[in-house]
Amino acid sequence: MSDSKQRLLKSRLSLKTIINDWMIVFLFIVLVALSSLNPNFRTTTNIMNILRQASFVAIIAMGEFFVILIGHMDMSITSIINIVSIFFAGFVVNNGIPMGLSFIIVLLMSVFIGIINGLLVVYGKVPSFIATLVVMNILKGLSYIYSGGLPISGLPSSFGKLALGRLGVIPYAVILMIVVAVILYVYTEHTAIGRSFYAVGGNSEASKLSGINTNFVIILAFVLCAILSSIGALGLTSKTLSGNVTLGDNILFDVMTICVLGGTSLSGGRGRVVGVVIGALFLQVISNIMVILGVNTYLQWVVKGLILIVVVLIDSRSKKE
Amino acid sequence: MTKSIKSDSPLIEVKNCTKLFPATVALDDVSFTLLPGEVHALVGENGAGKSTLVKCISGEYAMTKGELFVEGEQIHLRDYNVREAQNRHIGIVHQEFQLMEEMTGLENIYVGHYSQKGPFVDWKDLDARAQKLFEFLGSNVNYNVPVKRLRTADKQIIQLARALALDAKTIIFDELTAVLPEADIQNIYRIINLLRDNGIGIIYISHRLDEIFDVCDSYTVLMDGKHIETGDVGTLTKDRLIQLISGRELTKVYPQVPDSVSNDIFLKLKNFSGNGFNNIDLTAKKGEVVGIAGLVGAGKTELLQSLFGNNPVTNGEMWLNGKKINIHNPKAAIKEGLGLIPDERRMLGLNRVFDVRKNATLANLNKYKIANLFMDQNKEYEDAETVMDQLNLKYSSLRQNINTLSGGNQQKVVIGKWIIADTDLYLMDEPTRGIDVGAKSEIYHLIHELVAQGKCVILVSPELEELLGLCHKIYVMYEGEICYETERENFSQEEIMTYLLGSGK
Repeated sequence: MSDSKQRLLKSRLSLKTIINDWMIVFLFIVLVALSSLNPNFRTTTNIMNILRQASFVAIIAMGEFFVILIGHMDMSITSIINIVSIFFAGFVVNNGIPMGLSFIIVLLMSVFIGIINGLLVVYGKVPSFIATLVVMNILKGLSYIYSGGLPISGLPSSFGKLALGRLGVIPYAVILMIVVAVILYVYTEHTAIGRSFYAVGGNSEASKLSGINTNFVIILAFVLCAILSSIGALGLTSKTLSGNVTLGDNILFDVMTICVLGGTSLSGGRGRVVGVVIGALFLQVISNIMVILGVNTYLQWVVKGLILIVVVLIDSRSKKE
Repeated sequence: MTKSIKSDSPLIEVKNCTKLFPATVALDDVSFTLLPGEVHALVGENGAGKSTLVKCISGEYAMTKGELFVEGEQIHLRDYNVREAQNRHIGIVHQEFQLMEEMTGLENIYVGHYSQKGPFVDWKDLDARAQKLFEFLGSNVNYNVPVKRLRTADKQIIQLARALALDAKTIIFDELTAVLPEADIQNIYRIINLLRDNGIGIIYISHRLDEIFDVCDSYTVLMDGKHIETGDVGTLTKDRLIQLISGRELTKVYPQVPDSVSNDIFLKLKNFSGNGFNNIDLTAKKGEVVGIAGLVGAGKTELLQSLFGNNPVTNGEMWLNGKKINIHNPKAAIKEGLGLIPDERRMLGLNRVFDVRKNATLANLNKYKIANLFMDQNKEYEDAETVMDQLNLKYSSLRQNINTLSGGNQQKVVIGKWIIADTDLYLMDEPTRGIDVGAKSEIYHLIHELVAQGKCVILVSPELEELLGLCHKIYVMYEGEICYETERENFSQEEIMTYLLGSGK
């Protein structure tokens, strides 16, 4: 009996599970090491800045995380961000709809987009890469038709608090990110439906034969991705107080990098919310350091590209083991 | 040492081979010799080191220690790899296909070695070579259609042809016949005899002990990475072989069939028809093991999949416990108390990113909900531990990834999943496919324990012996229909065989 209890204990505290998440540990160490390098870097203001800048992208990445977790890919997030930004600003500024109601409308819009993505993949049997690429282009068209391609500025300054306001030294944005991360952490690791995402990503057919409604899980992942993207989009919009149809154009690459950096397996079934958050912070720290060092923007793209490919290479090597 | 059929120098000689993996000794000082024209059986339980030994020979693995001689020439182990093994005329025929499904048989056979005319592939030459090859084999497999359209047995012939096309003098058969119906096995035997007569050496890995007596000249038994015995098949009995393999006295592979059949009819099918089967009338009682025999393609798997809601039903009635039901998806089937142990364990039965615990509880996540949302992970661990110990699972931790278990233990987890889900009707599709004698016997005992508890088991197996040894009742399917039904007291292997092959009535 004591033998059995010992094994039970071993089951839960196994060192292996920690090493399994080596990427997270590694990133954390690098983070700490980097931040002790440069005294300019270490200031509270700068650290809070990094956290603030990372937070909305982190929320969007947590959305993409669900889709990657089930073994798919959502390319449409860039356009979801754009259309949410421009419609929200349009509703508030042009139509005078209250911000709360506008928020609900764009949220419902994103749910609808997520459902369309999911339906195309589940029932249309369209590869997710293509399905979401198509949706991306359609949404892009719609947001340009709506706005003529011009930004819509003039959102009330109270809305700007979302991105710039703070509680003591801690920005609201960071609090929002932490709240979202905690909820999603509990959701993925301590609920039955959370387990289902991992199951479907690991082996969709076996999951179906174990009684999991795989179709529902896939659609739900796309919906969550769209919702989280639109929340992130509102945060990014609040920074400039204007809706913009190009707001999310460069974000997909960062989001993918963050997910992979955080240990999410591109073949599905593996990954953790905590990893995504740390991945987002890591990427932001790298960007921040490059800015401090005066590295030009185009070179930054090159560096980020190299980071992604290195991480993917490490990931695929370790999987062969 | 083996009595040689021809006294030539050995094709393959492995001397004192040791292969270490992190944390395990896969092979411990094993020696092995293969002569030309010899069919040498390599037997042992899963994890005994058969595959490792074979992979050391075929260049997939590098030995940690030891020497390898191919046709008398010592190999520099450092430069040895699959390509080099091919150049030294060693070919391997895998159980799991390593064929490119969309390409034709011809393309598959010569891939990587196409003959060329200038920059172009010389298809005429390849075709002529293939024709000669198939003439030699006495086989008429159509190698001009995409491989995916071929039958399992024909795909294996293509794989064999690929090995022969590279002028193999040593051919390794890795559980070749594990998935073949009887007629095709006979064809493979014929080809093996043909190869032997042509002086080709064959290493034959199989879990079906009968095959060893049917075609092999000599045997080597491995256990836990160690060499146990090498000898002549002529002087070997089946009982002794089982004893050697399992390292223990197995009084019987098949346990006594329990007297557990009740009078309550649990499952009743009437004119049940669907994709792949027609007009099935079948009854199964509580506490009964009902076997379904049939060739590959007889519709057995399709029938089980339909019962489980994973294959369309077009017509007919399904009654469970006196209640007429319609099952449209696996989720509904599980709700009705059904559980499926699918034939493709790795593809359909297991979630390979999950650990033991998560695999074990996957079919019944709702059982662990607190406040209708959160997972009670402590209870999960407890249940998984209880059931896995009950099943005598060999594991070190519930957090161990499922891939690190042997095939037999993986199958126990799949069965354990349904025990945890409180299943009443177990649909078992080849539950002992590719697992060793010891683990098979444990699964057999388990099946009988389940029916002794009043559960019902429907068992599909390609091995008639297994069905005869385990079932209370056997149905025979042929081309999608049930053509014969027999109770235990009337079991006759010959009769079942006749119907199985479609020559009954």
